[in-house]
Amino acid sequence: MFGWNGKVASIDLTERKIDVIPLGKAILHDYLGGRGLGVKFIFDLVKPGTDALSPENVLVIAAGPLTGTTCPTSGRFAAVSKSPLTGTIFDSNSGGDFGPELKFAGFDGLVLYGKAEKPVYIQIVDDEISIEEANYLWGKNTREVTRELSKMGKVACIGRAGEKGVRFANIMNGYTHTCGRGGLGAVMGSKNLKAIVVKGKKRMQVFDRERYKKYFQDIMRLLVASPVSSKGLSEYGTAVLVNLINYMKILPTANFRLSHFHLAEEISGEKINSTFAIRKAPCYACPIACKREVKDTRMEIPEYETISMFGSSCRISSIQTVMKANRLCNEYGMDTITAGSTIACYLELTGKQPEEEELLRWVELIGERKDIGQELSEGSVRYALAHNKPGLSMQVKGLELPGYDPRGVLGLALGYATSNRGGCHLRAYMIGPEIFGKPKLVNRLSFSGKSGLVQVIQNLFTAVDSLAVCKFALFSVGEEEWANILSAVTGIDFVSESLLEIGERIWNIERLFNIREKFNSKDDTLPERFFQEDGGVNGRNINKEEFLATLLEYYRFRGWDSTGIPTKEKLEQLNIGIC
Amino acid sequence: MWREISKFGKKMVECGLTHSHFGNISVRIGNKLIITRSGSMLDEIDENMVVEVDLDKPSSFDTLASSETIVHRQIYKETSGLAIIHAHSPFAIVQSMISNSDLLVPTDCESKYFLHEIPIISGGVGSKELAQNAANALKDHKGAIIKEHGSIAIGKIVEEAFVTICSIEHACRVKYFADLILRKRDRSK
Repeated sequence: MFGWNGKVASIDLTERKIDVIPLGKAILHDYLGGRGLGVKFIFDLVKPGTDALSPENVLVIAAGPLTGTTCPTSGRFAAVSKSPLTGTIFDSNSGGDFGPELKFAGFDGLVLYGKAEKPVYIQIVDDEISIEEANYLWGKNTREVTRELSKMGKVACIGRAGEKGVRFANIMNGYTHTCGRGGLGAVMGSKNLKAIVVKGKKRMQVFDRERYKKYFQDIMRLLVASPVSSKGLSEYGTAVLVNLINYMKILPTANFRLSHFHLAEEISGEKINSTFAIRKAPCYACPIACKREVKDTRMEIPEYETISMFGSSCRISSIQTVMKANRLCNEYGMDTITAGSTIACYLELTGKQPEEEELLRWVELIGERKDIGQELSEGSVRYALAHNKPGLSMQVKGLELPGYDPRGVLGLALGYATSNRGGCHLRAYMIGPEIFGKPKLVNRLSFSGKSGLVQVIQNLFTAVDSLAVCKFALFSVGEEEWANILSAVTGIDFVSESLLEIGERIWNIERLFNIREKFNSKDDTLPERFFQEDGGVNGRNINKEEFLATLLEYYRFRGWDSTGIPTKEKLEQLNIGIC
Repeated sequence: MWREISKFGKKMVECGLTHSHFGNISVRIGNKLIITRSGSMLDEIDENMVVEVDLDKPSSFDTLASSETIVHRQIYKETSGLAIIHAHSPFAIVQSMISNSDLLVPTDCESKYFLHEIPIISGGVGSKELAQNAANALKDHKGAIIKEHGSIAIGKIVEEAFVTICSIEHACRVKYFADLILRKRDRSK
């Protein structure tokens, strides 16, 4: 078998039982790996109504068929589970070098369930897996744990936030790479699983080296030709977006009450580059190298989303403060978008404006689940609801919105509303076509044509998450190139259409999981703030009638009924054997 | 300034010098350049479809600009041009593929007078190599052909660059048909 190892390890933490499960070609062909494989396992193994933080929840860690090859941006893997933050199915994609190492050890994935009696970590050395005592690591944050365990291999771990059940706790790997957003670190913590350490000697073989070489060069050529990947992300990291998004007047400011921050320049990519000596810290096999850190201190440069949430949304104009908040979140293992957005919600609700020290103290209190941090660690939805102000939580399906005001990017608005994991930009990054003109510039202030476009891009992103390669490469590289290189690696013929169909299959299973958890079309919406007709922000608001008409059209494109439920015909077409 | 760019963008598409969202146009104003955005169509340019970037230092706004911004920037730095047009004109591309030389000598009277000779340069899309080769070529030529890619021309105003782009395409088209007929005639002898 090329591309895959053909097996996952199933680990029962309650019984300390480890089984190796072979994977047939059919499941690998239909779901690829990464997000797809994880979603398939979670749908099959997690019963409806399961408490996300109970031993019955399952956590899947999975790499894809391209992970661990030399294919550009292929250092990725996914963690998939039921989210304690949203209650939806949830996949988190991460870079770094943990995913490739898992492949080198001989596994495509790990299926983790039950709950260890005491804190443990899992050690994998090539084909050998053991469960080790981790009392001495419990209570430590991610930097210390990673440092402690990294002599034994690549480390994925949780910090104190994951141990304490912060609903947006991350799984961290390689110090700064995150499986972020939905609180899968808390799922790991609920299983008393502190870390996974993996080391492998194997190297991934490619089926057809000649074709692989050609397709590799095709991808590299496209990455170089695109200014977004070769200049923007490479020169500034994702912080390249701060000035651009502010210029477009879609930078969330003061918890989305405004969409333009007059001090944005102070937290921009340009400001970072002129203030610090920067060095690149790329993920495995990534020529884009958007991940960066300060040369001397190795302090990580925050991502755009982090800057927008801790910066403009909390009205903080000190990049140093944002960097410290980011570092704290990485230390505790917490999602920066939800942490920043929840604090922004708290600021609006209380009318406070934080000083630097105060903001950092709140972040720390969230990580410790102490004082006000106890409430905020539940996320903005639960916090705002507890204070009878649900409208102040800027979220979809319980997940806080990232750094783009949907009133000025209507395709993304539809993408937020229909995302299976809640308010997320990465299910269909419409900033590509609506701002960067990739693959084609479309009118960002119109819903026209967006329903079809959004669902195709959602399918493509789902497939890409399952390969598993980086979504940033999609600014330059399309489904055709990915299908070509996947065919060369695996020896199985994939074409653009088959990749998109795989993405659609996975998307529909995610939808079915959420329907099983009682989500319905009423959840495919946006916070009321965006529909308000009082002039909106910068004269923009979203016309609800138009939005609902576009949503219906989206359902039709998806082959779902008017209530957003996949039809029997659609499921049969996608070879999903559940009705 | 976007109106000037828009006017000649439309003309380029009408004349078949470029299609879809290929090609780009820029104008230099002091140490700034206004350039068409990546992914825009040249016959649909409005004020939102151009972006202003610095001539000297790249910024985050480069990511919105045409992927050939690096080439435009280098040309402005090394020539006196104040406007640049890049087209994916078909006969220029064909000639670059069949020519064995790095100079194309026009065969028609007007092009001989106007262009003298047209350099054929190489380099990948948006690459430093192409940027430098184009800047070198345009120091002493009005326009150049980029191998397998299209044509590029400078002017003091957009119209002047447009005239050169049209001339290059005209020269390539005439030469193509003339060579074709001459080859046929040679074969029949």
